[in-house]
Amino acid sequence: MSTDINLLLRKDEESLRRQKRLKIFNFIAVFFLIELGVISLILFLLIQVNSFSSTKEKDDLLRRMSQLQEKRVKLFVLGNRIDGIQEILDKRKDLSKITSTILAKTPAKLSIEEFEIDNKIIVITANSSSLFPIGELINSLSDMAHKKEIISSLTLNSLVFDEIKNSYQVSVKSNL
Amino acid sequence: MNGKINLDLKSLIFIFGRNKPYILPIVVILTCIILFFQFTIPQFKTFLRVREEAKDAEIKLELLKENLKVLVDTNEGSLDSQLSTLNLALPLSKDFSGILNAIYYASQKTGVNLGTFSFQIGDLSKSEKDDKFLTIDVSMPLNANVFAVNSFVRTISNTIPLSEVSLMKMGEKTATVNLSFYYKPLGPIDSKEDSRIYPPTQKGLLLINKLVSFENISSPILPQLISSPSGEKSNPF
Repeated sequence: MSTDINLLLRKDEESLRRQKRLKIFNFIAVFFLIELGVISLILFLLIQVNSFSSTKEKDDLLRRMSQLQEKRVKLFVLGNRIDGIQEILDKRKDLSKITSTILAKTPAKLSIEEFEIDNKIIVITANSSSLFPIGELINSLSDMAHKKEIISSLTLNSLVFDEIKNSYQVSVKSNL
Repeated sequence: MNGKINLDLKSLIFIFGRNKPYILPIVVILTCIILFFQFTIPQFKTFLRVREEAKDAEIKLELLKENLKVLVDTNEGSLDSQLSTLNLALPLSKDFSGILNAIYYASQKTGVNLGTFSFQIGDLSKSEKDDKFLTIDVSMPLNANVFAVNSFVRTISNTIPLSEVSLMKMGEKTATVNLSFYYKPLGPIDSKEDSRIYPPTQKGLLLINKLVSFENISSPILPQLISSPSGEKSNPF
């Protein structure tokens, strides 16, 4: 019969293993606790820092700006007026400039009876004792229409001879 | 060995007794895991949100500083003068004295005789919608030839308040001119603290200089004879 069987040794081995396992569990538990605490504390502090940082400065700026509120309103009105006026000047048609250009092309011997202009058309009625100035006028206006200079078309409404006045009367219409 | 597990009370007490030291650490670990998901993760999301808000606040702060700089740097005297010019050119409300001033100035300068004319005013008691261009239309008979009428129209185009000629009908000695004088009520004022304030641009200043050079801005014809119904030009300040 063997006398070397040591049952106590096995019991010690198992006990050691159990103690080691327990240490590991305890270590993990403490580690988790500490980690959780540290992370929560760090997040709390970061949230506090980010919430607080700019509030005071902003309030100070707003207070100073409230003292200049009238100036702010004036600047707004200024911008509003500038935009409005620029829009008007950009879109309004200069009928006097168009009229001046047309009149400049009118021969001296042609007498303008009627000149009507709006945003879309021009109607000119003129008379002359000779056909030559009338021809000149029509040529000038045709040339402008071909080049799309101010007018885009030219229509001869009428060309008549007035026996009483002994003069020719022409009426032309152009689209702007 | 038999694979059956004996679950009677004694066995359970025995197992409990053997594993009692493990209970506390396991409970702590489980609690930490639960707290991590229930508390730490939402706290992290809160931190991300607060950080974004802080970034936005930083941007708004910079904007406020720039706005304050614009306000401080703007000379109030110049601003008032510029505003006065612009309000004469594009009035906030119907400016009858300004219109008559422009018409009589142009007629005097060009030597054109005016016939009887009238305004189309509309309902004075009705408040007008903002943000739109409104006009007072005038149809004017003139006793002048084509060249004089054209000169009149050219002159009145360079007077204030701003106007636009929509029709010129000229005969040998008489003519009719249809004019529309602009005005524009003020829309709602943007008073949000985070909207940018703009100083006048170079283009805006050039426009103001151009208006200052308009012919009747410093030579009113009829300020003493005619005044607007309220007694003063409209001024929101």
